[in-house]
Amino acid sequence: MTGRVVLAGALSAGLALLANGVGERWFEDVTAKAGITHKHTNREFKNPYAHIMAGYTALGAAVAVADYNGDGFDDFFVTDSAENGKNRLYRNNGDFTFTDVAEAAGLAAGNDAHNASADALWFDFNNDQRPDLLVIRFGQNQLFENLGNGKFRDVTPTSGMLGYKNAITAVAFDYDRDGWVDVFVGSYFQPVNVFNPDTPRFFPESFETANNGGGVTVYRNNGNGTFTDTTGKAGFALAGWTLDLGHADADNDGDEDLYVACDFGTDRFFVNNGDGTFTDITEKAIGIDTKKGMNVDWGDFDGDGLLDIYVTNITDDYMREGNFLWRNNGDLTFADVSRETDTYNTGWGWCAKFFDYDNDGWQDLYVVNGWVSAGKDSYVPDIFEMITRPNIELADARNWPPMGSKSLSGYQKKRLFHNEGGAGFKDHAARHGVDSVRDGRGIGVADFDNDGRLDLYVANANAEPYFYRNTLPAGRNWVQFQLGSPKANRFAIGAQVRLTAGGRTQLSFVNGGNGFAAQSSTRVHFGLGKNEKIDKVEIRWPSGAKQTLENLPPNRIYRVLEGKPKAEILIAKASQR
Amino acid sequence: MRQATLLVCAWALAGAGAWGATLADLDRYEALLAKNADDIRAGSEYRQAVIQLKQYDRCIKFFEELVAKSPQAANAYLNFGFAYVDKIPDAGAITQVILANTALSHFSKSIELKPSWIALYTRGNSYLYWPKIFGKAPLGVKDLEEAMKMQKQDKLRPYHVRAYISLGDGYWKMDDVEKARAVWQEGAKLFPNEPRLKERLSRSGDELAKYIDETLDPNKRVDTNLHELWEDQ
Repeated sequence: MTGRVVLAGALSAGLALLANGVGERWFEDVTAKAGITHKHTNREFKNPYAHIMAGYTALGAAVAVADYNGDGFDDFFVTDSAENGKNRLYRNNGDFTFTDVAEAAGLAAGNDAHNASADALWFDFNNDQRPDLLVIRFGQNQLFENLGNGKFRDVTPTSGMLGYKNAITAVAFDYDRDGWVDVFVGSYFQPVNVFNPDTPRFFPESFETANNGGGVTVYRNNGNGTFTDTTGKAGFALAGWTLDLGHADADNDGDEDLYVACDFGTDRFFVNNGDGTFTDITEKAIGIDTKKGMNVDWGDFDGDGLLDIYVTNITDDYMREGNFLWRNNGDLTFADVSRETDTYNTGWGWCAKFFDYDNDGWQDLYVVNGWVSAGKDSYVPDIFEMITRPNIELADARNWPPMGSKSLSGYQKKRLFHNEGGAGFKDHAARHGVDSVRDGRGIGVADFDNDGRLDLYVANANAEPYFYRNTLPAGRNWVQFQLGSPKANRFAIGAQVRLTAGGRTQLSFVNGGNGFAAQSSTRVHFGLGKNEKIDKVEIRWPSGAKQTLENLPPNRIYRVLEGKPKAEILIAKASQR
Repeated sequence: MRQATLLVCAWALAGAGAWGATLADLDRYEALLAKNADDIRAGSEYRQAVIQLKQYDRCIKFFEELVAKSPQAANAYLNFGFAYVDKIPDAGAITQVILANTALSHFSKSIELKPSWIALYTRGNSYLYWPKIFGKAPLGVKDLEEAMKMQKQDKLRPYHVRAYISLGDGYWKMDDVEKARAVWQEGAKLFPNEPRLKERLSRSGDELAKYIDETLDPNKRVDTNLHELWEDQ
């Protein structure tokens, strides 16, 4: 009798837990099962400063997602950084397995003695509706034209992008709204040959106000397969240690603004003047900081119809910078609410991405972190011994202590912040098994199996990646939109989508590669929770045209073309229902 | 005569932390300190005015010159160290370390010249702000134990509660939770209404760790107003 009561009680408690989703794991590590077998390897330099540089170049593990072959399944490109390391193009087989086709595509050779891959960006530079690929490198970037037959052609020499950059990030959007997507490249080191430097003075001159980095280069798309460097004309005379760039329309005026995250100093905020130029309004918008900006992602976390910004910095017991969650005030000013929302401390942060992993209609956040996870000894005392030395010249690499086999902010747990209805976030990473301790760099978010649940690819430095399949149980609705413009800016980069369901309006947009070392799918995804009906979808196209769709059934992937009144079903796979 | 009266009024307000400082006040305090470098009260009130006006670099430069002229003024060194501490919340994370490190050297000089309770307490407490990896907590505990010995030979003064709080924090940082609680409890018997002791004693485990971690956050301004010292005289 007593046993039965206990059993019944336990069962009912268990059912209650299931109903609340407590304790269930919604991500499965499918890295090996999916056929992802490679390991990223850091570059080892061979110059007089190699032993010092080794501690500062644990970079280059990146992922860029796109449906490069137009089969309706998102594929992805990943970088290696070793001298003989091959970059990979993983073609989606449609069954959550992937095949590396980089060699056949002509994309594998991204590393050699003079170049190290750092990031990658898909964008359609020639408006042929095929994503082309920019490989971002310490050295010379590579631009590959997608020929549409599974092969790519290196068009760098004729593109106007040839030139030495120690580039680490890039985003693509049509800043002058001429219908051609332009490219913004962020560089870390200044353009010295880091493989064989002719001076030892190429390290950051300051930890907080360094102004001897690589800055930002703007390449305006000429519309004929070439680009022109318009950096100065566009208003980007910068020399910061750029780590990431993130664009979005901050003030909903129809053009794209830009946040520049800088290591060793001040992040910058540029407002688009609408005439092909930008104005640096950092002081007014976000104030002057001295932190180590690592990542920029935009998303409307509080559902107020304005896109907010998440920037990771370094937070550890020896450096308490804290992240920024910039709540958009709507007047081109932002307020940091990271403390209030519990998104302040993510260790040595790298990529962070807004996405709705549980389809409840609120933007969650996944954050990866960790600098170097090596031996048990810490590098912190070494670095602070240098910092506190009087009159130290930080720009001189010879003054920096070698890291050797020591660790610095290593073995840090990743965070999966669940959005608690716009009021704050709670970390659910451990529950869902996505709290690994590898040195994370990039996060690619996409629905790789077209089942309405967003999956995650995590690129780790000097380690194997993680590929997490979202296994959210059935019961929550969703919808996705692949937007396209028939003539210009074919993937509608910058388009905003406002979806109304159940009395709430959500805002999302098509971004052109936001997030450190990571580009997510260009599809716009909305979680709908229990709502069975989508009342209205309003699209504001990059051209400025507006379009409204009504009464779309949920749990579909739609293709919407600018100028066409109806959405077509791209893929109708609602496996959760 | 009138000027002296105004300054006394300003001092009284400075003690309460409720006055609007002006650059002219800085001039006046600097003149006072030039006459008596060891004037701990003038030095403290000068710094409170500096904090209001964010004139940290002026203050540091002033004390640098002052101690050069008066190398035996222990309280000038103490205020010199505090001048660096005062700048910490407005500095970047790396500069904070440099400032804290420099402050420690001036506190040490002050102790070398005159091992007073305030100097020992100050240096001991400063060590506790350093991350564990630097191993400074035992140094802090040593100073705070010394300050505790001194205060136990004195009559009980309101500011003595600080040593109970900080010494307990020091033991806690050295992972001796039992000893930490014992010191806080001892303090609570003498200062039963002290909220900072109550807060610590009401917490344990991660909650206590979070509380102390937040208390010792260098981004939060430390109250370096020394008015309690003379208010009790």
